[in-house]
Amino acid sequence: MIPAAFDYTAPESVADAITALGSDSEEIKVLAGGQSLIPVLRLRLAAPTLLVDIGRIRELGGITDEGNTLVIGAMTTHAEMADSELVKEHASLLAKAVETVADPQVRHRGTLGGALVHADPAGDLLAPILALDAELVVAGADGERTVAAADFFEDMFTTTVGENEILTRIRIPKHTGWGSHYEKFTRVAQQWSIIAVGVTLKVDGGVISQAKVGLTNMSSTPIRASAVEQALVGQAPTADTASRAAAVAAEGTNPPTDTNGDANYRRHLAKVLTGRAVQAAVSG
Amino acid sequence: MTGLKVELLTDMGAYLGLVTPGIPILGAFMFNAIYKFPAYRFVCTNVFTNKNWTDAYRGAGRPEATFAIERLMDELAAEVGVDPMEIRERNWIKHDEFPFSTVAGLEYDSGNYEAATAKAKELFGYDALRAEQKQRREAGDTVQLGIGISTFTEMCGLAPSRVLGALSYGAGGWEHASIRMLPSGKVEVITGSSAHGQGHETAWSQIVADRLGVSFDDIEVLHGDTQISPRGLDTYGSRSLTVGGMAVIAAADKVIEKAKPIAAHLLEANSDDLEFSAGKFNVKGTNSSVGLTDLALAVFAAHNLPDGAEPSLDAEATFDPDNFSFPHGTHLCAVEVDTETGEAKIRNYTCVDDIGKVVNPLIVEGQVHGGLVQGIAQALFEEAVYDDSGTLVTGSFVDYLVPSAADLPNFTTDRTESPSTTNVLGVKGVGEAGTIASTPAVVNAVVDAVRHLGINDIEMPCSPHRIWTALQTASSGADTPRTKTMVDDDVNPSHNAQVSGTDAGDGSAAAQGSNGQGGLA
Ligand SMILES: Cc1cc2nc3c(=O)[nH]c(=O)nc-3n(C[C@H](O)[C@H](O)[C@H](O)COP(=O)(O)OP(=O)(O)OC[C@H]3O[C@@H](n4cnc5c(N)ncnc54)[C@H](O)[C@@H]3O)c2cc1C
Repeated sequence: MIPAAFDYTAPESVADAITALGSDSEEIKVLAGGQSLIPVLRLRLAAPTLLVDIGRIRELGGITDEGNTLVIGAMTTHAEMADSELVKEHASLLAKAVETVADPQVRHRGTLGGALVHADPAGDLLAPILALDAELVVAGADGERTVAAADFFEDMFTTTVGENEILTRIRIPKHTGWGSHYEKFTRVAQQWSIIAVGVTLKVDGGVISQAKVGLTNMSSTPIRASAVEQALVGQAPTADTASRAAAVAAEGTNPPTDTNGDANYRRHLAKVLTGRAVQAAVSG
Repeated sequence: MTGLKVELLTDMGAYLGLVTPGIPILGAFMFNAIYKFPAYRFVCTNVFTNKNWTDAYRGAGRPEATFAIERLMDELAAEVGVDPMEIRERNWIKHDEFPFSTVAGLEYDSGNYEAATAKAKELFGYDALRAEQKQRREAGDTVQLGIGISTFTEMCGLAPSRVLGALSYGAGGWEHASIRMLPSGKVEVITGSSAHGQGHETAWSQIVADRLGVSFDDIEVLHGDTQISPRGLDTYGSRSLTVGGMAVIAAADKVIEKAKPIAAHLLEANSDDLEFSAGKFNVKGTNSSVGLTDLALAVFAAHNLPDGAEPSLDAEATFDPDNFSFPHGTHLCAVEVDTETGEAKIRNYTCVDDIGKVVNPLIVEGQVHGGLVQGIAQALFEEAVYDDSGTLVTGSFVDYLVPSAADLPNFTTDRTESPSTTNVLGVKGVGEAGTIASTPAVVNAVVDAVRHLGINDIEMPCSPHRIWTALQTASSGADTPRTKTMVDDDVNPSHNAQVSGTDAGDGSAAAQGSNGQGGLA
């Protein structure tokens, strides 16, 4: 289908973009890679009157090393993250999750900022960002504010980013030397997660010293599997530990029921996949 | 096996399409398949509902029949405790029993189920896979192995017009072709069996090149536009080669017939002394000859023709087949089922099809591969799901799952050759073979992987959720329902389509984040 008519502007700075978002057009939308927004427009689920294309804003791109923190610009594409040595080294869970997103075409257009603001509960980058304790920098008319990933996602397709705001960059504390794995369950190769489990953990002296686990599509927002994390920390990285941790993976979840499976099945899958993800994370 | 009773209840959807209720009726001839049932009864009730209307889809009627009988053969084997291949072997028509009149009233002209099966088993490594299956069962592996068989046949090459008439079908089953011999030496072949990707242009050119002894490159196949090709029926029912191709051959033979007296005249010989081969009329026992393309120019000039001869070599023919075409084959599928997640993955797929003689092996290979994917997709992925009020919830490709190459194994394909005796080329149809054969092979494999756990049916598509649910039910000691839906699909589209508005009101609300930044995809 063809989208409803809209005006279009492509500012070259964040400041100009914020100004454009504050203009008096009836309904304004930010356009990033367009991999979610364009389908929405074509299906006429939304009919904005103005699109603010942030694709030409240089300051929104790039992956930089800032000491203990990795900073990823909101317009960084999935493909750029998948290819980035910095991401692979310091946030390997994100690098692994990104490889499971869609196909190469989509990965070359879709952006981290777009995926996060879109906040699809079945989106694959949300849980890793949550698990990695990232901070998200949001710019608006009054300047910038920083939001913890734990406070960023409010509901399905809903974040704290306001109508006149732009997500500018994602700050991820380095998880250098952590093992990780993103276990995604789908029926066909190119599909959103029925559910997925992202695990990253650190093994010191034969013991799991830290563990972070995020679940995809197990609730209306990505969630942390705190019970799993607790069951892992302080334990030896054995199959036994993995299965004990897996047993509590569905705690505190509220998964959807749809054509791919009911909530009960998803809870079961969360346990199975958590066990597998932990085992894989331990060995890599 | 002493008899087969089929009671078919079919959901036609909301409207009467081209042949809507005719599809299950076509299947009526095929439930007995390759087996020697002494008795057969078929009762069919077609019900119109408020769902999407239905019509012919690759295989039309035969996939349903083949699915039923091939699933049943596996259940029968389990019931009597023999290998599912053995029960088939015991009951199928032996190769020396052809031609064979079936209990459904068809005459199968040729076939060799033994040969196709022997070849398929060897390529597949049937015995080794059975041994591995046994091992995994004994070890209680998380991932179990299942082997699925489908020794299918089908009726295609639609169809003898008389039979269609008896079935109250609206049209006949003939096909038309004409050939124009241009003065340039080029040949135009006009076919009513219009290709939409099946490669008729190539196959028809091969046939005419062989028949008329002209160069493949000098032939042009025209079709599609009714100003060029006014007579013809269709490309469907795996009929193009066995019906349309025979019309092409008949037209080519008429060209030769028309050319012969003119050749005799130019060679100053008696027609009876001429033989036609490799594009030339030759006076037997001499070096005196004239080529068909030279004749085409001479006829165009028309300066020196026998008295009363029509100055044209062009010819047309309409062909109505005497019988259907009965391709068959043995399809073997190995599936691995992850008993923890319920996921079924195809490990190998081997098929040996017998479609008689082959005009173009590459085209045949393409048809087989495409057909397999379509049938496998039905077994594992594709499903039109409706909610309680009859609303389609799988209305986009986000929810209606279509596999890509990444979801499928490399296929092992091969052929045996039992030429058809009902057409001059000895060919059979192949367009629907893969779709008809593969669905039961896959579902049989899935069920076979978990049969020892107390499961004897899983409704297709065998989604991970359905397989897992069947495993749960079986391990709880409850009887697995034999044919009924095992999974109470509390139907919702997956997240995306839910947003994309199967229910417009809700959908747009969900698509909008409170901040107006929401959306979908
Ligand atoms: C065929 C296909 C398959 C896919 N498969 C998967 C998959 O398997 N897993 C998965 O996770 N995803 C999948 N996706 C979604 C894909 O990852 C999206 O591209 C991505 O989620 C959105 O990024 P984008 O840059 O394209 O955003 P856009 O589509 O441009 O924008 C999405 C939303 O975010 C807003 N937005 C974007 N950037 C900003 C910003 N910086 N500040 C404020 N608001 C912003 C927009 O206004 C819009 O509402 C798939 C998409 C397609 C088309």
